[in-house]
This record gives sequence, structure tokens and C-alpha cells, in this order.
Amino acid sequence: MFDGIIGFFSSLADFMTPSSIFYALLSSLIGFIIGALPGLTATMGVALMTTLTIALPPSQALLILICTYVGAIYGGSRSAILLNIPGTPASAASCLDGHALAKQGLAGRAMGIATSGSVLGTWIGMLALAFFTPVLGEMALKFGAYEFFWLAVFGVVISGNLTGNDAIKGWMAGFLGLFIAGIGQDGLYAYDRYTFGIHDISGGISLVPALVGAFGFAEVLTVMKDVPRAVTINAFDTVIPKLRDVTQYWRTVIRSGLIGTGIGIVPGVGEDVAAWASYAAAKRASKEKEKFGKGSIEGLMAAETGDNACVPGAIIPVLALAVPGSAPAAVLLAAMLIHGVNPGPLIMIENPKFVYDVVAMMFIASVGILIYGLTLTKLLIKILQFPQTLIMPVIFVLCVVGSYAISQRLFDVYVMLAFGVIGFFLRQLNFPMAPLVLGIVLGDLMEKNLRRGLVLSDGDLLPFITRPIAFVMFALVAGTILLNVPVFHAAAARAWGAATQVFRRGS
Amino acid sequence: MDDEKPAPLADLLTGAAWLTLALAIMIGAWQMDRLERLSAAIYTAPGLVPGLLGAAIALMAVILMGRAARAGALANVRLPTLRIADHWRLIAALVLCLGFAIGLVGRGPPFWLAAALFTAVTVFVFQFPARRRDGTLARGAMFAMAFGLIAGFTIHYLFQDLFLVRLP
Repeated sequence: MFDGIIGFFSSLADFMTPSSIFYALLSSLIGFIIGALPGLTATMGVALMTTLTIALPPSQALLILICTYVGAIYGGSRSAILLNIPGTPASAASCLDGHALAKQGLAGRAMGIATSGSVLGTWIGMLALAFFTPVLGEMALKFGAYEFFWLAVFGVVISGNLTGNDAIKGWMAGFLGLFIAGIGQDGLYAYDRYTFGIHDISGGISLVPALVGAFGFAEVLTVMKDVPRAVTINAFDTVIPKLRDVTQYWRTVIRSGLIGTGIGIVPGVGEDVAAWASYAAAKRASKEKEKFGKGSIEGLMAAETGDNACVPGAIIPVLALAVPGSAPAAVLLAAMLIHGVNPGPLIMIENPKFVYDVVAMMFIASVGILIYGLTLTKLLIKILQFPQTLIMPVIFVLCVVGSYAISQRLFDVYVMLAFGVIGFFLRQLNFPMAPLVLGIVLGDLMEKNLRRGLVLSDGDLLPFITRPIAFVMFALVAGTILLNVPVFHAAAARAWGAATQVFRRGS
Repeated sequence: MDDEKPAPLADLLTGAAWLTLALAIMIGAWQMDRLERLSAAIYTAPGLVPGLLGAAIALMAVILMGRAARAGALANVRLPTLRIADHWRLIAALVLCLGFAIGLVGRGPPFWLAAALFTAVTVFVFQFPARRRDGTLARGAMFAMAFGLIAGFTIHYLFQDLFLVRLP
């Protein structure tokens, strides 16, 4: 406990240099603007910043990326409140009550609630990050090939189930991602798979160009295909948060913070699900249910606390398991690997200070969003009124630079283009992108551990379901899949109804 | 992601495309060397995992197609009418972006010039209807050129000079 506190303050002190403070403030601002502009997502922002920071020392590069990530998730609330358009998918839940408050002339108060909720959510997640990363890392030391195999499958299955509105399509996207990860030389025999004799493919499909394509170029096409909407902004009051809004709903803040963090830990699910889950839980528990959707302060507080708490939550599995909790966290994982930081179960043994560095980065990012949340309202309104026709070509140029810069190969630019076009059409057909990305990240982990496990058991499949942790993961995967089959779903609902009735009678 | 659900026919056709891809993956996996001469066990063969993934995708594609058929994809099947004029923005965006990335980048002109050209042309093309309506085409062209040059130089300076990132 005290080691953790000392570690945190020591890391925080390390970042108190003029250059780190400058980078943190600049990147929080960039993230804030990226998040506020509809059509630009946190994943795209973090991916583009990864290339911009490639020549910087790892600690400063990762500080910039985390500040961009936190800033972008927070920034999305601004366009949700002012324009009724979520700046990022994470802010969709904030539109319901945030914009309703804006229409009542309370946009300033709504922005104040979003700021306080986001900062508190980040702090709750930050505490969980400091506490659970070592615990999860220690637990992961007990994982063998069988458990890691199921962890990868679980990530793709749960992400496919929760990130879209059609589980089959989510799983198809996830399995395609797993397949894409296997393109190139295989890990055991260096055998070329699906390379069609093209030398560049032998090295595999790089994650960053694929992400820049799926989240950057696809987004550019999505925005540019539609005629831009006229921007109308309601008048607003002061953006300084009221202490009463926080103290009155402290239960909502804590509940949403814990839900957001918990959802962040689940691989590949992300901030949008965290916001909706927190919002739904707040509505269930609220004494003012009728206000939800019509300008409920509690609803907005829940959504904003939940999505920002998810950010540190999503970084917990990145550090402890090298498995991302969300799509932007997948880019962050790639950036850590590029900068020579090797996250995973051994991080608390090999590089324990890094965990506290990340906690300190989170804290600095939360201070950044607090500063901009309280001061930059007028500038932001000007930015929101900037025509998308001017922004999108620049974003595409950045996508080209971003995919080229890491390996200096034009091939990666073509990978970005392919993923952008495929990603655009898949989105139009309702296929979510997060499971695809998670599949690409987890493909190597899944394949290596499946083959390693089979070698260890000499082809016997039983250890994959008889070891305790592996069995739990297998049961979670099977349960998630079966719950989407109508017959099983109905049976499970009946069983759940009967079980809860027994408890209700008992009480 | 769009909340609007695609039509059952679109799902049926998409499912067929996924099934074709999955079958191609499975055939590719089957044809891969099993490395028996290296005494490799069958469960370490390079084609095992892609083959299993192909089979899983094929199964889900069949479920998607079956679901679409049950939802009425095959009732009153008509070829969708595609009017290019309705999709000019998407087609223009695709042509301009692909033209820039494949045709200009790394093909001779310095990156700042290629980026400036692309940005200027894209801005002008997408502002064209509004500019023509307002009778400000010449002003629009000047603005697009100035914006393109500023964007090209800024990106070049920011990445290459300030953050020492190599550009194509």
C-alpha cells in the first residue's frame, strides 16, 4: 500500500519537468479537440499521435498518448451536449441528458457536470489501476498456454457480443481479426501463410496501419459521404461545476466509476459500453427515473463518470496481461511495444515503476481535462463550427503519414487504405470495428498458446477445459455464445427468474 | 457505428461474400505444407489455426445467411438501383484519397507538395456545390489553394522538423 503511494508520488515527481508538463497540456488539448469534433475518435487520435511521438523517449511518448486518450474521451461530451452529436461513440449516452439540459439553457451546467464526472471517473479508475494491476499481474503468473488461449478467445467473443448490436457480426469481425493476425510467417516454422509471394506481407500486417485505416480512413469516408449538418449551438450558462451536483450524486459517481472501470478491464469492450451500462445502472437506482432522457443531472453524471473511468480500467489488462480493454488501449499497447516497454504478467517483476508511471500519467491527464474543461468553452465552440470539409482532407494526410512513419514502408500505407475501405463497408453493413482490432491484437497470443498447449498435451484437448482457470474461461465463452441462441436465452431467463423468485421469497 | 440495420438482402449478400472468403481461407489452409518431413505433429501444422478460423467464419456466415433468408431476403428480390449522382461524395472521396495515397505519395513530388495538392483539390471539390450556388467559385479556388499550402507546410514542419518523423 505505502509502496504504491510512494511509487505514485515518485513517478509524479519525475513528470514535473517543463517539457513533460508542456507535452501533457498540449496532448490533452489535442485529445480534447479530437474528441469534441464529431467524426474523429479517440482510437484515431491515439494512433496518429503514436507516429508523431515515435522519436520521443518512451515515458514522454506514452504520457502524450495517455493524455490524448483521456482528453478525447472527455472531449466527446462537448459536442454531445452542445450539438446532440457524440464527439466519440463513448459520449453517445451523454447526448440524452446533456443536450436536453442544453436545450433548457443549462449547457454550461451540463459541461460542468461532464467535467466533474470525467475527472472523478478518471480518479476512481486510476485508483483501481494502481491497486488491481499488481493483483491481476500476479494472478496471470498462474496462467499457462491453455488459460492464455481462452483469454484471447474470451476477449474476441465478449467484444463481439457487446460492442455492436448483432453478436454474429461482432464475432465474424473478431474472427477475421484473428485470421488477419496470422497472415505472414507463422511463429513456429516461419512458414509463409497467405502471402501470395509478396515479400512485404511475410512480416505480417502491422497493427498501427490497420488501426489507422479502420478508425481513421474509414471515418474520413463516413463523414465525407454525407452533406455536413449545420451547427447550431444553444446559449449556455457558467461551466464551473457545482459542488452540490457532485455531493448530491456521490453514490452515482462511485457506482458509475466502478462499473466503468470493471467494463474497462473486460477485453475489447470499451468506453461506449461503460457509459451505457453506468447510465442504465443509475437509472435503475435513481429516485428520479422520470427525469432520465429529459435533462437528468444524475444520468449525465453517470455516463460521463462511467466512460472516463473505463480509460484507466482498459489499461489494467494492457499492463497486466498485454491484452487491451478497448480499441484505443490496443493502440496504446502497440505503442508500448514500439517503445520497448513489454507489458504482461511479468511487468510487476521486471518494471514495477512503469505501472506507477502510468497512474501518474492518468492523474496528469485528469488535471489537463479539468483545466480545459473550465477554460476553453468559447474556443471549443469556434472549433466545433470549423467546417468538416476542411478537417477531413488534413486527417487523411495524417493517416498516410501515420501509417508510413513507423516502418517507413509504402506497403503500410496500402495496408491502411485496404483496412479503411474494408472497414468503411463493414461499418455500413453493421459490423463493429472493435472486435476486428482486438482480433488482430490477440491473434498471435491465441495461436501460439493453442499450438503450445496442444504440443504440451500431445494433442489432448482435455487440459483446455479441465484446469480450473481454463474451465472458468471456457464456461464464460460458451455461456456468452449460448446466451445468443434464442432457446438457451429463454431457458436461462426462466432459470434466472426462478432463482431470483426464491431469493425474493426468502427475503 | 450506424444503428440502422441493413436490409435482409444486404445481409444475405454479405453472408455469401463472407462464406466465399471463409472457404478460400480453408482451402488455403488445407493446401499448406504440413511439414511432415520435419516430423511436425499435425496440431502444429501452419494451416491448423487459419483452417479452424475459416471454418468458424463459414459457420457464422451460413447462420447470417439463414437469418437473412428467414427475415425475407429472398421475397421480392430486386436488384438495387444505384445512382452515381446520389453517391458522388463517397466516390469523389474515394478517388481523391486513393489517388493521393497511391498515385502521388512516394512517386516523385515532395510530400508537402503532394499533401497541399490533395488538400486543395479535395476542399475545392467538396465546397464546389455551395460555391457555385453562391457564385464564389474563383474565391473558393483561391481559398482551397491557400488552405492546401498551409496544411502541407504545417504537416511537413510538424512531423519532419519538430518531431523528427520521416515522411514518404
